[in-house]
Amino acid sequence: MAASSQFKQLEKLGNGTYATVYKGLNKTTGVYVALKEVKLDSEEGTPSTAVREISLMKELKHENIVRLYDVIHTENKLTLVFEFMDNDLKKYMDSRIVGNTPYGFEMSLVKYFEWQLLQGVAFCHENRILHRDLKPQNLLINNKGQLKLGDFGLARAFGIPVNTFSSEVVTLWYRAPDVLMGSRTYSTSIDIWSCGCILAEMITGRPLFPGTNDEEQLKLIFETMGTPTERTWPGISNLPKYNPQLPQHLPKDLGALLQSQTREKMDLTLIDLLYGLLQSNPDRRLSAKQALNHPWFAEYYQ
Amino acid sequence: MSTITKETAPQKKALQTSVRITDDDLYRHSSQYRLWSFTPDSISQIREEINVRATAKVHQDLKVFLESHPELSSEERGAIESKAIPVSTQEELLLIGYFARMILSFAGKMNLPTEVAATAVSFFRKFFLSNSVMEFAPKEMFHTALFFACKSENYFIGVESFAKKAKTTTDAVLKHEFKLLESLNFTLMNHHPYKALHGFFLDIQSVLSGKVDLNYMGQVYTNCKKAISDALLTDAVYFFSPPQITLAILLMEDEALMMRYMQLKFNLGSEIETSKDDSQSVPQADHQNSINAEKLLEVIKSCKAVISEKIIPAKEDAVRITAKLHYCQNPMSVIDRLKRQRETSSAAETPVQTPVQTPVPGDLDTKRQKT
Repeated sequence: MAASSQFKQLEKLGNGTYATVYKGLNKTTGVYVALKEVKLDSEEGTPSTAVREISLMKELKHENIVRLYDVIHTENKLTLVFEFMDNDLKKYMDSRIVGNTPYGFEMSLVKYFEWQLLQGVAFCHENRILHRDLKPQNLLINNKGQLKLGDFGLARAFGIPVNTFSSEVVTLWYRAPDVLMGSRTYSTSIDIWSCGCILAEMITGRPLFPGTNDEEQLKLIFETMGTPTERTWPGISNLPKYNPQLPQHLPKDLGALLQSQTREKMDLTLIDLLYGLLQSNPDRRLSAKQALNHPWFAEYYQ
Repeated sequence: MSTITKETAPQKKALQTSVRITDDDLYRHSSQYRLWSFTPDSISQIREEINVRATAKVHQDLKVFLESHPELSSEERGAIESKAIPVSTQEELLLIGYFARMILSFAGKMNLPTEVAATAVSFFRKFFLSNSVMEFAPKEMFHTALFFACKSENYFIGVESFAKKAKTTTDAVLKHEFKLLESLNFTLMNHHPYKALHGFFLDIQSVLSGKVDLNYMGQVYTNCKKAISDALLTDAVYFFSPPQITLAILLMEDEALMMRYMQLKFNLGSEIETSKDDSQSVPQADHQNSINAEKLLEVIKSCKAVISEKIIPAKEDAVRITAKLHYCQNPMSVIDRLKRQRETSSAAETPVQTPVQTPVPGDLDTKRQKT
């Protein structure tokens, strides 16, 4: 176990779901780390989000998942020592806004990031763990172009049966329609939807479905992807928040829509992958494994 | 899930970085396997070392106590030396076992989910693989372990209401929380045999489809679930994987059913092969498994033996050991007790049996006041 004196606290990096994150320097090794400081609640002890994050991160050792090196206890706080990453995907995308115009990434970078994202997600899912809060802010990147999943504060382990999960997770913009309609039996497909939204956002530089509340979020999704029906999504009418009066939209041409927002050439396999990730019906969504096997990634596995 | 579910490689060409991970691989990567697997010898050695360390500390503390109380008579010194005896490794185990069992009944009373209770038992027992009962009172730690298990298993309960139900204070529940987290080496993920039971239960029904009565199977399931909770109190959890424990439990519950299942599933034992009605429907798919059924059965049987060794500590033992701990930690109380005895029975020289008067774990202080 490391002592807190081993680390020099540097500038603040941001606020996580339940903690403040600082850049730190390991004085013995000279290696930078991220220090996630968790205030110990005198009322409840160690916050359960921290307990869960520690629990999961101790099991997940993968090159696309940020590493938890150590946990340090000082009188009134707990410090989680993580691998340091230079940036997060949100800030990196913001840095590419010119004037008021967002720009997406070069297609090769989009592909490399999405590949790594799906690798990390696939590993979580293999380990029966749902991230549940995938969004650009939680995807950490470094100067080598590596991307790693971070912030497992909302993640949880799942077994069989997967139910009675709270529906109050995942930042709205990246939240799957089944979760928005109150499904409590969601599983790995919840993370896949987020991967689809993030892929589109990396292409255009704009969030795909920037809703401000649940209703608007669903409206934005269905306007583009088409309003699902009992035929395209058996069982949809049984979802707690299903609204039978939903305006019926036909699916738009997602490829054309995104292509109009980027100068990069989008090929047909990419559009096919987007449709695979952004299926409203969770049963029809690709798994992370299937997505990694998709022809768009052929150059990585051929 | 060693040697049980080997999945055949996917037909497609595997990706170089994402080769199909089998459940075996998954389990071998878990902290439960990496950090918390032991051999019978290695675990006894660990327990022995903890006991030696704590015993030395108790002796040292007693020495300091006696040195700082020169006013004590030789009779009083003798009383302390005869009462304040460090507990043995075996006694530590008994006491830990007693309170681990108490976690289960306590969790039952609080209507906590089975997995939460199981995780609490696991936390509690692992805590005493780096700490001695002479250092941390199991009576305090079992609340801490249970509350912490609620957090790590994502079962929300406020500390206030927990402490109330546990008839203790929030401070007591939280006091050693970090010590627990640290002793667990920050590894909190537990894989219990209940999930494997669910899986095998479904598989048995499909492999023995039409040959088993569903109501009966329901009964088997319920009994096994209960038996698993008991098995979690034994060292089987350190020597075997969760599915191996499950199979051992199933074997103990209904050997004929289990042998039949293993015969059909893993092509076990040619001597049963000839039995009458299964000539037609042996599921071929599983036969390509490279599972050595005889070896598997051997493993399960040795697991069964460990589970069968379970000891249910008697309350009297727990009381006796707790009293020792109490006297070690508070040598003065031996003197107090001696004085009271002198007062009450100054006439008759009837030696009072210790266990009758020694406090019951759980309400040490109240009992003491009554004497």
